[in-house]
Amino acid sequence: MKPFTIDTTNGICAALFIFLGGFFALQSLGLEIGTAFRMGPGYFPLVLAIVLILLGAVILVEAVRFESEPIGHVAWRGMLFILPAPIFFGLTVRGLGFLPSIFLTALIASFASGRMRPLTALVLSACLTLFAFLVFSYALGLPFRRFGPWLQF
Amino acid sequence: MELLDNLALGFSTATSLANLGFCLIGVLLGTLIGVLPGIGATATIAMLLPITFQIGDPVSSLIMLAGIYYGAQYGGSTTAILINMPGESSSAVTAIDGYQMAKNGRAGAALAIAAIGSFFAGTVSTFLVAIFAPPLTAIALQFGAAEYFSLMIVGLVSSVALAHGSIVKALAMVVLGLLLGIVGTDIYTGTPRFTLGIREYADGLNFVAVAVGVFGVAEILRNLENEHERSVMIRRVSGLMPTREDFRRMAAPIVRGTIIGSALGILPGGGAILAAFASYTVEKRVSKNPGEFGKGAVEGVAGPESANNAGAQTSFIPMLTLGIPANPVMALMIGAMIIQGIVPGPNVAIEQPALFWGIIASMWIGNLMLIILNLPLIGLWVKLLTIPYYVLFPIIMAFCSIGVYSVNTNIYDLYAVAFFGFLGYLLTKLRCEPAPLLLGFVLGPLLEENLRRAMILARGDPTTFVTRPISAGLLFIAFAVLVIVFLPAVKKKREEVFVEEN
Amino acid sequence: MRKFAAALAAAAAVTLYSFAAGAQTYPERTITVVVPFSAGGPTDTVTRLVAEAMSKDLGQQIIVENVGGAGGTLGAGRVANAEPDGYTLLLHHIGMATSATLYRKLAYDTLNGFEYVGLVTEVPMTIVGRKDLEPTDLKGLVDYAKANKDTVTVANAGIGAASHLCGMLFMSAIGTPLVTVPYKGTGPAMTDLLGGQVDIMCDQSTNTTKQIQGGTIKVYAVTSPERLDVLPDVPTTTEAGLPDVQVGIWHGLYAPKGTPAEVTERLSKSLQVALKDPNVVARFAELGTKPSPDTDATPAALKAKLEGEIARWKPIIEAAGQYAD
Repeated sequence: MKPFTIDTTNGICAALFIFLGGFFALQSLGLEIGTAFRMGPGYFPLVLAIVLILLGAVILVEAVRFESEPIGHVAWRGMLFILPAPIFFGLTVRGLGFLPSIFLTALIASFASGRMRPLTALVLSACLTLFAFLVFSYALGLPFRRFGPWLQF
Repeated sequence: MELLDNLALGFSTATSLANLGFCLIGVLLGTLIGVLPGIGATATIAMLLPITFQIGDPVSSLIMLAGIYYGAQYGGSTTAILINMPGESSSAVTAIDGYQMAKNGRAGAALAIAAIGSFFAGTVSTFLVAIFAPPLTAIALQFGAAEYFSLMIVGLVSSVALAHGSIVKALAMVVLGLLLGIVGTDIYTGTPRFTLGIREYADGLNFVAVAVGVFGVAEILRNLENEHERSVMIRRVSGLMPTREDFRRMAAPIVRGTIIGSALGILPGGGAILAAFASYTVEKRVSKNPGEFGKGAVEGVAGPESANNAGAQTSFIPMLTLGIPANPVMALMIGAMIIQGIVPGPNVAIEQPALFWGIIASMWIGNLMLIILNLPLIGLWVKLLTIPYYVLFPIIMAFCSIGVYSVNTNIYDLYAVAFFGFLGYLLTKLRCEPAPLLLGFVLGPLLEENLRRAMILARGDPTTFVTRPISAGLLFIAFAVLVIVFLPAVKKKREEVFVEEN
Repeated sequence: MRKFAAALAAAAAVTLYSFAAGAQTYPERTITVVVPFSAGGPTDTVTRLVAEAMSKDLGQQIIVENVGGAGGTLGAGRVANAEPDGYTLLLHHIGMATSATLYRKLAYDTLNGFEYVGLVTEVPMTIVGRKDLEPTDLKGLVDYAKANKDTVTVANAGIGAASHLCGMLFMSAIGTPLVTVPYKGTGPAMTDLLGGQVDIMCDQSTNTTKQIQGGTIKVYAVTSPERLDVLPDVPTTTEAGLPDVQVGIWHGLYAPKGTPAEVTERLSKSLQVALKDPNVVARFAELGTKPSPDTDATPAALKAKLEGEIARWKPIIEAAGQYAD
């Protein structure tokens, strides 16, 4: 008898869809469902969430039966620096102001690559900030404060 | 001959030196800002709109605004092709095969094909707007909630063709997209849904944030995976211009794309969005080598780009003839008109013929300028790819942060970028394609809204979908597409394709 | 500890000084007016026209920032929490009063979270119907609606929108609930009205005037006390027998709580000047509205209006039982 194996890629994929479907289904149950003729806010998403769970189940069955491509490398370092960059920009754009915030955002993102040297990162971020100032702040006059209240006395 | 007189009036208005100048500035600015990574058409227009308010003459300011619109759209396609970063829903389709072409070293050809397709579509649809604006408007008004719902169903059924892997995964991505699209306040009851109590998401997740996340950020992460083992961005650029073979292959898709785009573009609300997706589906269906799609098929760039531009053009029809915005960009145009002292409505063509026909004529001139401007610039854009990737991606991240933030100045949109970047990367690793998710995301709210509205209007009678002729016709098309997809012979052919792929 | 106290005192002194100095020389830098709706909408238009004229009077640039979302409550919340220095202002419409009831928990205190500058304008509403709707006057429409209450459909642009408020008021005035069909924004609602998919709607004259003049929709009444210059043949609701349906989309200019009185006075003066600007008057006229007179463009008038409107809409919204959160 063939040993029971499950394909990693599709197994995780199925789990993800079932989890997301479950999340939306649970949330929908907290809303008014209504009937097919007078749908409440929860009706349509509940139907979709159930479909998503079912599709996840189909993928799970496939995962048991077939083997697919492996997941491969994961960009841990990339995730560590790339994903926080926009979050940082969001947290600081009003407090620090547009220019310091964009400078630091670019700097953080720079460190996602092992090839980037600190000096290059600084120069790159500075150039970017200058460009952003000239184009967005000066020429287009976007209503962003260049330096925010955190930097003022 | 009234038409010729009108067009003559339009061209004499649009070709005044000042107006040509404003058109050029608009196209140029639109392209330059739109081509910045992560800044698509909507963000570009939101940024540049206030500039047009400062022009005193309403005709000039609208001509410039229209120029910005085409420029931004083309700029958005450029980033979709070069770095897989679509700035709006229609260029998400261009990204599928355009980016693959760029990876194969054919970025120049892809950009040229996009430009040529856009120009052809722009030319044809400008004349369509001039000739058919009033009758087409009448057709658009026949579309009620039931028709829209059926149209969305056609779009969804066709979306299976967007996938080039497992159909089940593609379907799951569409459904997930639909669910994500529903996030926000339910317009029927005012109930916030799936917002996790965050009021900043009450109006739904921002499209730009989702698109930048699942396409752009995920792509950056993928490129960062194997940094140490090999240089990721080796891209030998072979020839900037399309080959004779390319021209042969793109002709028919451009024509088909133009027809699809012109037809769907006039529908207010979502029509233009569907055009690019529909065109891709059609091209993949009629192609002799559907397996090439998703790997850099010329047709997959030429068709959707033409459809996209034709749709953009004909979406002016409801605005000019009814004063109704077909999409957010048109809503901005109407705002600009009102500020200039023109209230758009059914009388604009009669009361302000110079304005009405001037804008129509300037559409064509704008498209002409766009192609003259962009063909030489292609070399420059392609050069961007020779920038080392580790220098490029901090730039991308900085610009997309600015772009996403500038749409609504909502910082939660930036958090959404990070979340969808992670989700997009995860899904890519699990071999799920992002394009169907994006289609679902755009269609989700429309589908639900129109389904529920149709039911209210029909007093809860579901036969409304089949008793209304246009709706019934659309559902028949959807059914036909399904049959074709699952017909044994076709299915077998599909499976053969997958064998080839593996 | 003492050092800290001294530093604190010094900081306070500096702050006080700069406040006092700021009030005398105000404005000395660019002012931002937040519009809690997206660019291009009617409120945005009003704001940009007024801001341009005020900027001429104040001698400083005024930037309009669109902070849309959640029925205007996000933008209002942003301004409520901004520095009270007169450099961040809010231009909001009637929704300022109705969201106090429509939203059961707000991130700001509607009545006590702001200083008042003045009323800007009041845009009248029109009761309109699809082109081939049977009744020819408002009285006929009311009878028709009462007789066909299960089939007559009323479109609106979403919960909290002007058209939603006016629709609620209309139904409460005729004492008959009709079938409500919400849309996302005025655009799609108007499309369906033009296409005859829905029967009636009540919306700002800004959005309906051109269609009425073009004959593509039918008009029954205007909801203002007097007839409109742009639609001289259309009776008011009072003339047509529904005096309770009086509603206008009034716009007010606010500043964050704690803004010095000198600053709001200065802004109020500037607003009064701006509202007499010929360009503003002309553009407002095209939109079917008039700038507020000097007596209304004052902090006191806006405060009174806001209080009155919150009290007026509370029972209507609660009776309809529809909330936005």
